[in-house]
Amino acid sequence: MTTNDFYALSPLLAVGAAALAVMIGISVKRSMTATAGLTVAGLFVSFAMLFPAASIAPRIVTPLLVIDGYALFYMGLVLAGTLTVVLLSLEYLRDRGAHPEEYYILLLLAAFGSMTLVASRHFGSLFLGLEILSVSLYGLIAYVRGNEKGIEAGIKYLVLAAVSAAFLVFGMALVYTATGSLEFSRIGAGATPTDPLFLAGAAMIIVGMGFKLAVVPFHLWTPDVYEGAPAPVTAFIATVSKGAVFALLLRLAGPFHILDHPTLFTVFSVIAVGSIFAGNLLALSQGNIKRILAYSSIAHLGYLLVAFLAGGVKGATAATYYLSAYFVTTLGAFGVISLRSGRDREREYIHDYRGLAWRRPWLAGVFTAMLLSLAGIPLTAGFIGKFYAISAGVGSSLWFQVVSVAIGSAIGLFYYLRVISVMYAQPERHSGGRQAVARAISFGGGMILALLTLGLILLGVWPSPLIGLITRAVSGMN
Amino acid sequence: MTVEWLILIPLIGGVLAWIGGRRSSLLPRLISVASLGAGLAMTASLWNASPPVAGRTAGQAWIAEFNTSWIPQLGIGFHLGLDGLSLLLVLLTFFLGIVGVLCSWNEIKERTGFFHLNLMLVLTGIVGVFLSLDLFLFYFFWELMLVPMYFLISIWGHEKRAYASVKFFIFTQLSGILMLLGILGLYFIHGRSTGIYTFDYTQLLGTRLTPGQSLWLMLGFAAAFAVKLPAVPFHSWLPDAHSEAPTAGSLILAGLLLKTGAYGFIRFLVPLFPDAVESVRLIGMVLSAAGILYGAALAFSQEDLKRLIAYTSISHMGFVMLGIFAWNELSLQGAVIQMVCHGFSTGALFVLAGILQARLHTREMSAMGGLWAVTPRMAGMGLFFGLASLGLPGLGNFIGEFLVLLGSYRVSGLVTAAAATGLIASALYSLRLMQRVFHGPKRDDLTMADIAVRETTILAVMAAVIVVIGLYPGPVLETSKPAVEGLIQKGNPSLTPPGRGPGAVKPGGESSGEMLR
Amino acid sequence: MTDLLWLIPFMPIAGFTVLVLAGSRLPRSVTGTIGTGTVGLSAVVSMLLAAGFGVKGDGYVVTQTLWQWLSVGDFSPRFSLYLDALSLVMVLVITCVGFLIHLYSIGFMKNEEGYSRFFAYMNLFVGSMLVLVLADNLVSLYLGWEGVGLCSYLLIGFWYRDSANGYAARKAFVITRVGDTALAVGLFLLFTNLGTLQIQELMQRAQAEWPAGSKIAVIAAALLLAGAIGKSAQLPLQTWLPDAMAGPTPVSALIHAATMVTAGVYLIARTHVLFTLAPPVQSAIAIIGAATLLLAGLSAFVQRDIKRVLAYSTISQIGYMFLALGVGAWSAALFHFMTHAFFKALLFLGAGAVILAMDHEHDIFKMGGLRSRMPVTFWTFLIGVASLSALPFVTSGFYSKDLILKLAWSSERGSVWLWAAGVAGAFITSLYAFRLLFVVFFGDRLTRAKSDPGISMTAPLVVLAALSVAAGLAALPEPASGRQAIQQFLSGVLPAAHIRDERTPELFLLLIASCASIGGMLAAWLLYVLFPRYAEGLVQTRAGRSVHRLLFTGWGFDRIYDRLFAGPFLWLTRINRDDFIDLVYEGAAWYSGVFHHLLGLTQTGKVRWYAFGIGLGAIITIGIAVFL
Repeated sequence: MTTNDFYALSPLLAVGAAALAVMIGISVKRSMTATAGLTVAGLFVSFAMLFPAASIAPRIVTPLLVIDGYALFYMGLVLAGTLTVVLLSLEYLRDRGAHPEEYYILLLLAAFGSMTLVASRHFGSLFLGLEILSVSLYGLIAYVRGNEKGIEAGIKYLVLAAVSAAFLVFGMALVYTATGSLEFSRIGAGATPTDPLFLAGAAMIIVGMGFKLAVVPFHLWTPDVYEGAPAPVTAFIATVSKGAVFALLLRLAGPFHILDHPTLFTVFSVIAVGSIFAGNLLALSQGNIKRILAYSSIAHLGYLLVAFLAGGVKGATAATYYLSAYFVTTLGAFGVISLRSGRDREREYIHDYRGLAWRRPWLAGVFTAMLLSLAGIPLTAGFIGKFYAISAGVGSSLWFQVVSVAIGSAIGLFYYLRVISVMYAQPERHSGGRQAVARAISFGGGMILALLTLGLILLGVWPSPLIGLITRAVSGMN
Repeated sequence: MTVEWLILIPLIGGVLAWIGGRRSSLLPRLISVASLGAGLAMTASLWNASPPVAGRTAGQAWIAEFNTSWIPQLGIGFHLGLDGLSLLLVLLTFFLGIVGVLCSWNEIKERTGFFHLNLMLVLTGIVGVFLSLDLFLFYFFWELMLVPMYFLISIWGHEKRAYASVKFFIFTQLSGILMLLGILGLYFIHGRSTGIYTFDYTQLLGTRLTPGQSLWLMLGFAAAFAVKLPAVPFHSWLPDAHSEAPTAGSLILAGLLLKTGAYGFIRFLVPLFPDAVESVRLIGMVLSAAGILYGAALAFSQEDLKRLIAYTSISHMGFVMLGIFAWNELSLQGAVIQMVCHGFSTGALFVLAGILQARLHTREMSAMGGLWAVTPRMAGMGLFFGLASLGLPGLGNFIGEFLVLLGSYRVSGLVTAAAATGLIASALYSLRLMQRVFHGPKRDDLTMADIAVRETTILAVMAAVIVVIGLYPGPVLETSKPAVEGLIQKGNPSLTPPGRGPGAVKPGGESSGEMLR
Repeated sequence: MTDLLWLIPFMPIAGFTVLVLAGSRLPRSVTGTIGTGTVGLSAVVSMLLAAGFGVKGDGYVVTQTLWQWLSVGDFSPRFSLYLDALSLVMVLVITCVGFLIHLYSIGFMKNEEGYSRFFAYMNLFVGSMLVLVLADNLVSLYLGWEGVGLCSYLLIGFWYRDSANGYAARKAFVITRVGDTALAVGLFLLFTNLGTLQIQELMQRAQAEWPAGSKIAVIAAALLLAGAIGKSAQLPLQTWLPDAMAGPTPVSALIHAATMVTAGVYLIARTHVLFTLAPPVQSAIAIIGAATLLLAGLSAFVQRDIKRVLAYSTISQIGYMFLALGVGAWSAALFHFMTHAFFKALLFLGAGAVILAMDHEHDIFKMGGLRSRMPVTFWTFLIGVASLSALPFVTSGFYSKDLILKLAWSSERGSVWLWAAGVAGAFITSLYAFRLLFVVFFGDRLTRAKSDPGISMTAPLVVLAALSVAAGLAALPEPASGRQAIQQFLSGVLPAAHIRDERTPELFLLLIASCASIGGMLAAWLLYVLFPRYAEGLVQTRAGRSVHRLLFTGWGFDRIYDRLFAGPFLWLTRINRDDFIDLVYEGAAWYSGVFHHLLGLTQTGKVRWYAFGIGLGAIITIGIAVFL
């Protein structure tokens, strides 16, 4: 390990150090403010370290990790996402009883795992990163002890993640048998395209990752976990966790020649189209907004997979842009839900939002913007994202998949508009009691939402800087 | 001051109106009218300042242009252009926008700021559609106008507003994405063959396509335009949206939004895919004729006044589509006139329907009747616009329909004859409307005030425009002439049949010397 | 002076505009003056222009271009006026008769509400008709053509509170629009093939480019004919006219005498070149005319409503004009148009006076013995009836009808059958005309009637009666050519009929026709004055009853059309009110809902099931990856 290796790893190390520091800090004195401050600081330091790291990228650090522009970009995304979640969690946790401090350790560890994932170039680091992420998530999902649904969701996630991890490990073993290597770059060289052992292994790895991505047919857990987990944690699962796994998938695509194997291509096509339709149809007449967002995320991963299937720099760029837009949008949507949560329960049902536009015009405006972005309407990041994804699909002549995206979007529109129209409906006359419970949004929370909305619109009307950044990051992928 | 301000003015006006809405409910109205008036004045001054027709050759018909880079990585530019065709439609947009604000003066009492924001945003999107010369930008504006329109319907609409607004949104959105697929297909094919990846309309124009590519891409575009126009059988969103929207919404839907579909056909579909259009032209014409008759038949059977008017729009826009598919100067100029006049006549009918609904609290025609005795001024206006909509000679709509049919006869006599029976059908529904609403025995319990000065003025101005276009359409035709000629050249030469039969060669008496080229 | 031509159509249209914009605020006297005066001024101008004709001779044409209407490609119609002998005759009749009808209306409508509306519409009616006859291209003609259709709609439905009137008005508009649409298609065809719609030029080109009897000429002529049939209420589009009686009586007079129904006759005369190029169509005109004059005459015979009698009579008389046009007797048709305008206006205005006197009673069998109470009306009505019946020598109708019958026999395109139909028609005409006269004015005085109306209403009656007689002067032979004056006057525009056989037994024909007229009158006298019981008895028999019903309902055309067109159309539109195409989209939405619920079943919330789902997914994935 040279100094440069340390520089390259410094973002990871910073997060890890932050986790340690928080742990030590808590054992000395429980202080919510200090813990959160430490966490935020750690994340900021890590983010800052991305720049020196970028100056020496790309660099392979040990056989396990590679720090290239691509990894750094995704690390940045993970850090920004985590930071947002941290900030959203502040108030949420303040309302929810004792000992919120360990929450931040888990969050930092989850971020650490995610960052490991996006930088891994070896099955070993892949598995490590994934498990660090998963284990942290079990705790996070069930963190609010008074909430039965949360605990149930945590257990479900635990059991199912274990099942899928088993598939993943077995798949790795099979691939190793077939190719004799655990390093991504060597696997590609050693794989014979028709080797059933290799294909079976790849398929099992797909199962493992498909679970994390919550795509059809490994999606069944999603709504229950989304619903049960605290809203900020849900935001984390929806964005950081999935984003990291997807980044890994993109990285794998090259060495594995996924897109050149007709059968693997078919697998992904089926998964993509299935996710688009199942996700959108399942969301149609849901009454719970968190479940709606869960189903909608299934569909969105389907759209992302279409961009992924397009392959090449174009596909990767499109997918990455889509993911970035999706990060902003989803964080914003869950941000609204988090910030509206009352002391007693979260405001997760559609009827909780009735007439919101006339009581809280700004909040409703933000939520509307987020939902429109999810639907892919102009002026929002989601529009450019969807445009880019479809563009990539068309560029590779994936007509069938792309038409599925079109139809899926039309179906999706129905439930997004359903939420919007409820928000703009006339408020109920006799709902004074419930209104009283809803608190005002704090200044900090409002700032986060404002920033997210600003980002959403900026990405929607002036996307070229980000596109430029992503293109550079993706072209440098090792 | 250039063409981009035509987009910025309503946008800024809308935001100001929204902000102004916090202070009073009057302020948004005034701001909206003022900014739309400014837009109208600016467009008119561009019209005035545009070089005379003779000075512009066909194909270089832009009166004003604006081009700057937007997303360079993808070859997306912010390219706007104004020619005679878009100029007329932009004028129409601002004018009907003002009418929309004026006619909702008393109708919209709640959240006026937000209402006017949405109204102005719709208009921004529509103006953008009429000006865009970059396909991405076009798609951007195309989608942009949906959301505020959705809000207009779903917040200020009538009983079934939720259903109607979602239906409207989904129809247009799905078809819009199909168009996006077409745009992207064209983009990649052009990029691969030339190495230049661009969405610029002027560069994409001559893209070489195989017949199969051309057909499929054309169908993608056609989906969006056919839904918006709307062409039968993609029309079923329209009656719901039109009848549930507030007056200004119906006015803008019928008067402007439908025109964007027709504009897309004229500006993009045929010039980009001349060969494919040529191969499906007869189908297009048959669909248009079917739309004319089917819309009229449905209009005839409606009991809801606004629904009736909505279905007449389908019928009228069938003429526009027929003119487009016939693709010659006569039929295209006819389509342009028909678009403009339909905006006025149907818009005015919706204004009337809105006035009636505001006073009677119903749109059911069974609750009306004999209103001539109660509100003679309104009845007279109703009669006038009813007659305009049945294509009475001397009024603008006649010029449109006549030119369209005259032009389409060159392509297919049979289809034209079938479409012409739409003239009978339009008489059926228009007169039925008159009978059910204004004629017949007066109900004793029916009392209401006649239209006031504001309403009378709006309607009278609209009527005057229709009369002027009916008797002296020259200025309109001359404005669109260079644009139309340029577009015709972009179409497939075999699309435009020779003007006349055997007698074409020898000019007749002195009276017609000039009319034969 | 010819510069004043534009004033002719302009005056009534200006009157219309003023009345529409300010009518409700003007006092009635001003309204009436504007309405009547503008038409009167038009009449004066047309007479001034007519004077010019007298000097310059037959080929004299006045044109005036107002402005370029529109110009698209090679299609550039102008608003320009074209006055030749043919249009002059039309213009004179329209303005003069129109003026008298307006004058009459001042009295007739004085107690009605909507006074200014009435005069506005009437002015527009006259204005549109003038545009129609003065148009120098077919598009402007079409403008006037639709304009009169509109005005008929407005005026038939003038008393809008009664839904039946509205129905009649719409029926008139829609049925004539069927013809109009055919005419429009004809216009498209003409323009596409000949490249112009300027009438004169069109005729030249048609003659130059289309051989006689060519298919395209036949189609073009047939389409124009369809338009003419609709407006002129000929078979099979005649059903609107009897119902058009719903409007105020002066309106009927205007529609039947001066405007609207004669438009078809004018159109065919104006484009006669085209019809000579299409012999089959011309024969069709003659046959339609002959059939119409018989069928409508028989229907007129059994009507009870005084105005319906006259309405069927109009259809029948226009049938004569069509017969004349069909045999190529163009100027004879115009002559009959002129005389008919006078006596039919007279009859309608007289009927109006009667109706007013009877408190809006229309049933002639509830009238009777009005002779003594309404002498002016009676005598003028008598002149009208006589002229309609073509009583020999003293009436103008005799001369015009005689000319038609003669040419129906002798023209190249004529035949004995056409002549025979005409003669039979003459008998029937006389029969129903005198029936009307006898029943209304003779017999016992059944009800108390008011006396003659005021001077503003009787004066037009007297003038029209005088014209009905004096118009016969137009039949005086021209010393130079030996032809009748009217034929000579029109000869610059309308060619003379080709005579098949110079040795026409003119005297014999004259005798037969006269016998038919007088015979009809005598038969009416017998049936309705001497032995009224007998006529009743005849109707009471079974055969009589069904024949009566058939005739009374105008040969059942209405029912056939109801069954054939209106009924199915109404049925289809009613069952499709909610648009069956929408079901497709509703269906898609419904299926989405079904799938939503089916997929929802997989969300059980049970971990074991979810784990099973992962396992199943794994099997599928591996299956596809390895075995596919």
